[in-house]
Amino acid sequence: MKNTYIIIAAIVVIVIIIGGAFAYIYLSTPGKKSTSTLASATLNGEGGTLVAPLMSVWQGAYAAVEPQITVNYNPQGSGAGITAFQQKIVDFGESDAPMTATQYGALPSGTTALTIPISASAVVPAYNLKLANGTVCKNGLNFNGTVLANIFLGTITNWNDPQIAALNPTIPLPNTPITTVHRSDGSGTMFAFTDFLYKESSSWATKVGKPSTTPSWPTTPLELAAPKNAGVAAAIAGNNGAIGPLEIAYILENTGQSSLYYGTVQNAAGNFIIANVSNIAATLQAGATAGLPAGNAQWSSVSIIDNTYNNKTATTIYPIVTMTYALVYEQQSSQTQGAALVNFLSWIVNSGQSLGTGLGYVPLPANIVAVDNTSIKLITYNGTPIQT
Amino acid sequence: MQFRQLRGDTILKIILAVASLFIIVLVVGLAVELSLGSASSIFKFGPGFLIGSNWEPSQNVLGALPFIYGTLLTSAIAILIGFPISLGVAIFISEKLKSHQTFGFMLGTIIDLLAAVPSVIYGLWGVFILIPFLRDYVEKPLHNSFGFIPLFSGHPFGYDFFTAGVILAIMIIPTMSAVSRDVLSVVPNSQREAMYSLGATDWEVTGKTVLPYARSGIFGAFILGLGRAFGETMAVTMVIGNIPSISSNLFSAGATLSSIIANDFSESTGIFQSSIIELGLILFFVALLINVLARLLLWRVTRGTRVKF
Repeated sequence: MKNTYIIIAAIVVIVIIIGGAFAYIYLSTPGKKSTSTLASATLNGEGGTLVAPLMSVWQGAYAAVEPQITVNYNPQGSGAGITAFQQKIVDFGESDAPMTATQYGALPSGTTALTIPISASAVVPAYNLKLANGTVCKNGLNFNGTVLANIFLGTITNWNDPQIAALNPTIPLPNTPITTVHRSDGSGTMFAFTDFLYKESSSWATKVGKPSTTPSWPTTPLELAAPKNAGVAAAIAGNNGAIGPLEIAYILENTGQSSLYYGTVQNAAGNFIIANVSNIAATLQAGATAGLPAGNAQWSSVSIIDNTYNNKTATTIYPIVTMTYALVYEQQSSQTQGAALVNFLSWIVNSGQSLGTGLGYVPLPANIVAVDNTSIKLITYNGTPIQT
Repeated sequence: MQFRQLRGDTILKIILAVASLFIIVLVVGLAVELSLGSASSIFKFGPGFLIGSNWEPSQNVLGALPFIYGTLLTSAIAILIGFPISLGVAIFISEKLKSHQTFGFMLGTIIDLLAAVPSVIYGLWGVFILIPFLRDYVEKPLHNSFGFIPLFSGHPFGYDFFTAGVILAIMIIPTMSAVSRDVLSVVPNSQREAMYSLGATDWEVTGKTVLPYARSGIFGAFILGLGRAFGETMAVTMVIGNIPSISSNLFSAGATLSSIIANDFSESTGIFQSSIIELGLILFFVALLINVLARLLLWRVTRGTRVKF
């Protein structure tokens, strides 16, 4: 009995000594000293899921640069991000589609919203298809706007349709019915895809109408919808003959793991382009050259797709590219919060851009970064710009 | 002494009353909040919302019928598959495993464990395991052999009413069988012994004595299962295909009241959001209605029993 007590006491002492040693080592390790003079602050953001993987990379990397600033991001969806931003319950909102004129109108009086592109991605036609010769159809099946529109309108219903065959003369297309897959929830990805179809196909424009995060999908013979990009990817990967619009980041993350491949899309110059980092960057460059508004103006009509869909001189651009935006108020009500926000935004549009390439996020080209930096300089506290 | 006891009783009574009141406040608050949120949709669409079969948010054409249909259909499939299985499991454990207490206990624990699995896990399992299995080994054979029946006429791709119903059945089995098991196990042994003494077989004892005796409890289990099937959201959303459609074909993608709420709420604004809240209100009332109907039925059934004996 006595021995037991001694053993227990010895264990306790040893644990305390070891624990103390670890604590000493941990506490005495000099942390990265920040050279900045920013006060500690917590920034809360809410918005789209498209940027969420990149945002978590940013949070980690930014914590090493400015450890006294904590950034929280709640990926609830673009609509939720805009609502939270309008109600001022977050420091920054985030959305895959710019705010509409109505949404600008619903902002609190006396405030000006700044729209700041923070990243970009491409939407690709992803498919799962076993060819007539029994092999799996890999990347590179050719599509154009009209064919994609007809597939999702339900007028092309089989993979051996002459319209698809005309674009792919060398591929043995099978006699397999097409299953169309799209998102069941509202999504910036669907906005970009329907924006492209709206521009490319007049029958899509009349039957479905303007681009929307929740478009009224026409009924096709075989149709299903799944939540989130991951759901769409799983639905396509699980069904031979399925096709659906998918965020490219998702395919790149899953390369070689499933029967999920993606095709090319024909651009205005007539070339069939496969989405990759350099093609998407070229699209952004061309889209921004066509003109972006000032950060504090209304961005409702801004669309890289609109700016590039009839650009016949840029031969390598991939036509379905979309930007994603941070939303902040020009007038900040706290010096500390404002300074932290300006520092964070400035860091992500300059230093943070290169961190996303592994995940399929394309760094913004210099001409868009320049627009962003000008916009960030507009942020004020008590009428004085925070960053000069 | 007596005074102190009385005070203790009073305090206990107040605490219990407050606890019960809390539930009432919660339900009323829920109904009020749902009604307020859906007010603009109710005024705009009126009762037509309930029978409207088109759901096109971008055109502001909104009707709830496809979702009501989807909820009722998937729950019906779930009950059709799940209820007999649950009852069978419960009878097996409480009647047949009486002499193998350990095995019965183990089986019961495993079933209880199923009830604790989060629905998103069922959903994931549904997408990656159940859908390919059902599509290739159940739906395709059914379609090939019985395709002339409208129920099985669609091209089977797995994301449909049928899969949603099957996954719901799997999810409600633990609840229903656990409750039925408990109910059957409290049926007094004297009831069984009386039957056996008259020379009844096992089947007759279970069918003619145990089940009728436990009828109201089993009915309660049925209602609990149905309630869970109505409200289940995540797993259904992941497998049902999410197309607002009204189709007698089990192999076509559909949507339920809860799945459309989960899908569209976060991206909705204005009248669209209001109509989604109205869907929540409809779900609330459908659940209430089913509960009331079930209770009435139960009341009639038990009263009938008393008159008969």
